Amino acid sequence: MNLFISQVSAIVWKDFTIEFKTRELFSAMFIFALLVILIFIFSVNLSVVEASEVGPGILWVAFLFSGTIGLNRSFALEKENGCLMALMLMPADRTAIYFGKLISNFVFLTIMELFILPLFMIFFNIDLLEHLFPLLIVIFLGTLGFCALGTLLSSLASNLKTREIMLPILLYPLLVPIVIAVVRMTGQVLAGEPLSEMMNWIGLTASFDIIYIGVSIMTIDHILEE
Amino acid sequence: MMSSDAVEENEEESSILVWMTGLAFLAAIIAIFIYVPTERTEGVVQRIMYFHIPSAWLSFFAFFVVFICSILFLWKKEREWDIYAHASAEIGVIFCSLVLITGPIWARPIWGAWWVWDARLTSTLILWIIYVAYLMLRAQSEAGSMRARYAAVLGIVGFLDIPLIHFSVLWWRAFHPQPKVISSEGIGKGMEIGMLATLGISLCAFTLLYFLLMGVRVRQEKLKDEIDRLKRETLYSS
Repeated sequence: MNLFISQVSAIVWKDFTIEFKTRELFSAMFIFALLVILIFIFSVNLSVVEASEVGPGILWVAFLFSGTIGLNRSFALEKENGCLMALMLMPADRTAIYFGKLISNFVFLTIMELFILPLFMIFFNIDLLEHLFPLLIVIFLGTLGFCALGTLLSSLASNLKTREIMLPILLYPLLVPIVIAVVRMTGQVLAGEPLSEMMNWIGLTASFDIIYIGVSIMTIDHILEE
Repeated sequence: MMSSDAVEENEEESSILVWMTGLAFLAAIIAIFIYVPTERTEGVVQRIMYFHIPSAWLSFFAFFVVFICSILFLWKKEREWDIYAHASAEIGVIFCSLVLITGPIWARPIWGAWWVWDARLTSTLILWIIYVAYLMLRAQSEAGSMRARYAAVLGIVGFLDIPLIHFSVLWWRAFHPQPKVISSEGIGKGMEIGMLATLGISLCAFTLLYFLLMGVRVRQEKLKDEIDRLKRETLYSS
């Protein structure tokens, strides 16, 4: 077990070192999320529509779109110079590669989200601080589900010729339950409802997370195979 | 390689299936257009239901077959299961498209709108997109073990998403007519007996059609493999 953890943390550490050195991914994800929010602000008339009604949807679209950039990069980076092959030659279980990638995708996306939240608060004039704790739980569950399925499909799409196109096409329809659930929950949380009122959505999101982490553990061996 | 005996036997079997499917469809069409009484409130347009529900059943069944064959493929790694999954996904997408076409034709006069964002309509549309993406993935990658493995993973992931999609859109909204055939009052209580019989015949006809199409598609794919093999053989021997 200790060996597995050290293998996973080695992969996470590698991704972080690359990111600290290049600073490519984080800035791209952050600016892209900001752009998505801006485009939505131009496309809905906020003087007519209530900001708290469209806000959660816009926030999550921004998270998911910029998260897709991160996912695309995650395995595409490894394709350069045959790094993925080297990772697979590593005397470790393939699930260690999956978990390493899952954790680094999850951490990058979460940090980006934490930077976006204050801007969202200012742009939409919604007070998040009041409901910060339940909101963070919703963001945690949603982001984990997105990364669990996204990392699996990103490892799959990275071997296709048209990987940037295929990843969203494969991923978005499967993400529908998570998108509906997190947007609903975020809306309700911002309206001041306690988490205990939305146990069905929490259950749905948590089962999505568990199902897809489980499926990934079982199928990653068949994807990372040469 | 298929021996000539096996081919003959196959042809015999499939010709019986062709006749059975043909007769079942003849019976279904007679039942739908002549035998079954017109529904009182909805009128003649209600008859489209006898195509709509069987198509929906067939597409769900086809996607379930994709799921099972995908698991079997990853387990056994035999090309056979990959062919079955591929053929079944194609048939499923075709009939799912028919569901999405016949539904609005009925909805326009009854609901007064081609489309509403009801739970069942939404989940059928998402299902259709998932399996179109599945076929795109197959089209994008070259034939071989990689394509088969990736498609199998997507076949499993996609099918497991169905219950989650179902509940999420159900809690999101619902207007579709409640199920009448299998309802809380028991099987077949919500419907007049003639209508139920017609629906039954139609369901049988569509199910037979599924197996017929499956057989044709699987045979075609196997012949394609055979041609590829023969081509390679002649290429290397000359």
